Amino acid sequence: MLISLNWIKDFVDLPESENIHDLANKFTMTTAEVEEVKKVNAHLDIIKVVEITEIEKHPEADKLNLVTFNIGGSTARVVCGAPNVKAGLKVPYAAIGTVLPGGFKLEPKKIRGVLSEGMLCSETELGLGDGSSGLMELNSDATIGQSLKQYLNTSSDTLIDVDNKSLTHRPDLWGYYGLAREFSAIYKTPLKDNFNSQWAAGIESKFNDQAIPTKIKVDGNSSCLGFWGISLDNIKVQKSPQWMIDRLEAVGLRAINNIVDISNYVMMELGMPMHIYDRDQIKGDIQVGLAKDGNKFTTLDEVERTLVGTDTLISDDEKGLVLAGVMGGASSGVNEETKNIFIEVANWKAEEVRKTSTRLGLRTDSSTRFEKSLDLNLCYRSLLRAIDLVFEVCPDAKILGKPVYDGQKISETRNEIKTSVTYINKILGLKLSTEEIKEIFTSLDFEVSGDEQLLIKVPTYRATKDIQGQHDLAEEIGRVVGYDTIPIESPKLAVTPVRLTPYKEIERKVQDFMSLHAKSLEVLSYPLVGEKLLLKSSWPDLNEDLQLVNAISVEQDRMRPSLIPSFLEMTAVNAKNFSDFSFFEWGRSYLPKTDSFFVENNIVGLLNYSKSENKFVDTLNTTEKFLNFLGLNYKIQTHSKRPNPLVNEDWKGLHPDEFVDIVVRGKTLGAAFSVHPIVLRDFKIKGKVSILMLDLTDFCKKQTTKAHKYSPISKFPSSQFDCTVLVPVGSAADECLSVSKKLKNKDLLSLKIVQVFALNEEFNAVTLRFSFGNLSQTLEASVIKDYENQAVKELESIGFKLKT
Amino acid sequence: MINKIESLWESFQKEVTPLDKQADVLNLKAKYIGKKGLISEVMKGLRDASVEEKKLIGPKSNEVKKNIETSIQDKLKDIQISEMNEKLKKEKIDFSLRDSNLDLGLNSGGIHPVHQIQRSIEDIFLSMGFEVLDGPHIETEHYNFEALNIPETHPARDMQDTFWFKDKAHLLRTHTSTIQIRGMEERKAPFAFVGPGKVFRCERIDATHESCFHQLEGMMVGENINTGHLIYFMKTLLKEIFQKDMEVRLRPGYFPFVEPGFELDIRWKKPDPKDEEARHSGWLELLPCGMVHPNVLKAGGVDPDKYTGFAFGLGLDRLVMVNYKMDDIRYLHKGDLRFNSQFSHF
Repeated sequence: MLISLNWIKDFVDLPESENIHDLANKFTMTTAEVEEVKKVNAHLDIIKVVEITEIEKHPEADKLNLVTFNIGGSTARVVCGAPNVKAGLKVPYAAIGTVLPGGFKLEPKKIRGVLSEGMLCSETELGLGDGSSGLMELNSDATIGQSLKQYLNTSSDTLIDVDNKSLTHRPDLWGYYGLAREFSAIYKTPLKDNFNSQWAAGIESKFNDQAIPTKIKVDGNSSCLGFWGISLDNIKVQKSPQWMIDRLEAVGLRAINNIVDISNYVMMELGMPMHIYDRDQIKGDIQVGLAKDGNKFTTLDEVERTLVGTDTLISDDEKGLVLAGVMGGASSGVNEETKNIFIEVANWKAEEVRKTSTRLGLRTDSSTRFEKSLDLNLCYRSLLRAIDLVFEVCPDAKILGKPVYDGQKISETRNEIKTSVTYINKILGLKLSTEEIKEIFTSLDFEVSGDEQLLIKVPTYRATKDIQGQHDLAEEIGRVVGYDTIPIESPKLAVTPVRLTPYKEIERKVQDFMSLHAKSLEVLSYPLVGEKLLLKSSWPDLNEDLQLVNAISVEQDRMRPSLIPSFLEMTAVNAKNFSDFSFFEWGRSYLPKTDSFFVENNIVGLLNYSKSENKFVDTLNTTEKFLNFLGLNYKIQTHSKRPNPLVNEDWKGLHPDEFVDIVVRGKTLGAAFSVHPIVLRDFKIKGKVSILMLDLTDFCKKQTTKAHKYSPISKFPSSQFDCTVLVPVGSAADECLSVSKKLKNKDLLSLKIVQVFALNEEFNAVTLRFSFGNLSQTLEASVIKDYENQAVKELESIGFKLKT
Repeated sequence: MINKIESLWESFQKEVTPLDKQADVLNLKAKYIGKKGLISEVMKGLRDASVEEKKLIGPKSNEVKKNIETSIQDKLKDIQISEMNEKLKKEKIDFSLRDSNLDLGLNSGGIHPVHQIQRSIEDIFLSMGFEVLDGPHIETEHYNFEALNIPETHPARDMQDTFWFKDKAHLLRTHTSTIQIRGMEERKAPFAFVGPGKVFRCERIDATHESCFHQLEGMMVGENINTGHLIYFMKTLLKEIFQKDMEVRLRPGYFPFVEPGFELDIRWKKPDPKDEEARHSGWLELLPCGMVHPNVLKAGGVDPDKYTGFAFGLGLDRLVMVNYKMDDIRYLHKGDLRFNSQFSHF
């Protein structure tokens, strides 16, 4: 919102010596954020009225003249190209050094070899309109040497632009009188008493006993809190006086005519929007009530709006007149022909106005203010101020009767809040005295009584929403005292140990292990995905239950059911740039759930890509090491019939063979697989991709710790025995390791595969190494021999013959 | 005799130097210190020596014998080493073929820059006694709005563009402040925690706007927590992040869940004292904060008559952008490893 300081000065004297930037900064620090400081018409003070005395042709240029003029006591000469230049004409002159609107600063300059001492100006150059390109022609009786500001009888002004968002909670700051009150508290100067009872009595004295032509009736179910109206006759609609135009235009409002301008003027001044009707357009009386579903109403902007049953409409006997609190109708407004008016000053329920304006996408100066919860008491003052101004612009206007009112009972009783000096100081961390606190409250128009325990009476215009409890009062004190006066200190607290939650602990383990051990880069993919990506991935579940109603794009309109589709998309991006890469994400998948709407699973996903190599075994190695690192007992099983919650077996992206279930504590919590080339082809990925998906949700709630166990190291040597068996091609080499279970030999320390050698088309030769040993003795040769024979026998019994 | 022994030591040294075969060295050893070696020969004349001489000769001959023995052992080791080196030469590897010189694709690992900064801030707070919490991304109106003193009719709901689900009861959390309520519910005052995590806003994505980004919420509740304590923690945080004292200022800011509410700005640029218009510029709006609204304490099960607290929120993506002078926020979620690898460990 633009704040005109001239206007503010109607109500409070600002210190003359204060620099405008310091003032803006104080406002930012105390009340609301100033975004910009602007000066209006500052140049008009410097620009002077001059009279042209002599015109010569420029020696070097046909279209240019050398123009000499009288500034009042002296003369100057400029190079000028304006077509309407003539001797005797009075025009505005900007001397060297003047800064014109748009920031253009006049510098001494030679034009085609002749020095020009400034510039004679057009209206456009002065920012006074966009008239012709010629010089601005001033009246012949203009005083030479006078400033253009004096000539135009206009004023220069300074505007500060305040961020509207920082005023959201302050309905009282949407008018200049309220803003002036803030300045009076900031500078400890009194607020002027312009709207006192004497002023009111002056206007009320014009009320009379004439019949009231327009009566009002308010339906209590509507959004109306209270509705004031008054009828006036003998109105002359014309251009507003220049001072009013200047003020409105300075703050960005368009001047229309004296009556419409009054409604805007009072809105800016007191913060209360109002509506002025052409009374001859009102048929019968005014009724305020709820609209009917489907009612059509054409607003001032000539858009036909469809209303719903919760909108409040102001109507006469025949038609809708005003969409309450939002915008007037196209038919009832004041125009040049208007002779008789009806002024409405009403207050509306904030939430209802907000609902209507949001639904219709129609935000107006009026709805913006009503949404903030305005004070009902403000209506009558605003009505008087409007009448006041009507008489100023139309001295012959006649009031018919007196104001009429319908609505809630108006109460001027102030809300009371109990607080204490101790509480205020405790919240702020300050040591203010009772006197200091009382002084601030008083400057903000709060009534205070008490000493340590305080009873605060809140002005009605602050009580609608902003000031509800003593914490709100503490803010009033803090901001006026200045938050920079608060001493900075550490609280005195008991020292207690803090540790990471299991969730955080596992998050860090994932990040550390994957980045340091698996040499993988962490990525973040969007938790929101679109149908297109899921279809492209052939993902069987479109997650329609977790779709958004107000997505910003179809690419992000639902929660991801899995990290996998996004992983494939990222792989496609990176396969263009790298021959090999690995990335991981610690993210969530979101799935619908019948009893609680949704479930979020904490997943670690790892993807390995290589243009040429198969990284599936690397992926499994990483998986095993990672599960060991977390201290989890696990099994890696060739995928069985049991469904895997991380990948649906119907998914076409699964490799027919390279797919295992990861089972932890009897529960399938993960899957590792290679992605089927068919699905890779849909992403135009050339190369091989393998993925690990592991659901760690269970371990985010309860700490997992890797338990290390000590066992004594044998003092006796162990003995190794190698043997080579035949394993059919196509079987896993590790199948022969199951012999260890058969052996049930407590002296068998380990059994590992030493090497695998392709023997022929039928068999691979797999060399196994048995290691035997005992903690308490050296095994005798005969015992070892027995163990070896048993091993060979058991291998044969499970189908693995020795290679001969 | 002493002279003879010393000259034997000298002649030994001359003879041993050129030798390069084990056998020759052993022969030389026998020649000098063998049973019938040169030293023994000389020592035969000992009985003719005077008592004084005997006292000197004994130790001298032992010393020379020991020196010869050591010298022989050194020589033998040298010969073994040079023989071994011949073998090692044949096993020479090219150690210029290191990963950094090879095309191994993208061979690096690292943590995402948002999570790096998140972790360092978590650690700062952890060291000051704050727990680190998170909560669900899909939330109810209660946790995202009502419990935070934002009733349905509140204009503040306009300030946040919320993603809604089809059931109209669930939404994507628009701020990490939801963690405040969940954190309070699970604890008994006094307590302190931070809550970093993803948040969602219904915003068009461009170079400076994201629909999904990261915040870090913080809250401390106790019997006498005041605004001065809030500033203390914020200043400490900023000092740790930027590794220097940061000038901060607190000005009024409106957020329904705090009262008084503040905007905390940090001094980002020293203004030119000569530039009158810019004398109050150079501040960067960094984080909203305030004293927790009594209604919010109540919603979290904390007695507002007994306890007070402060809360703050910090945009992590913004901090990453400022820290690395990034020009486009979209890289954070793109998964283009040319970006992510710039923040790798190695």
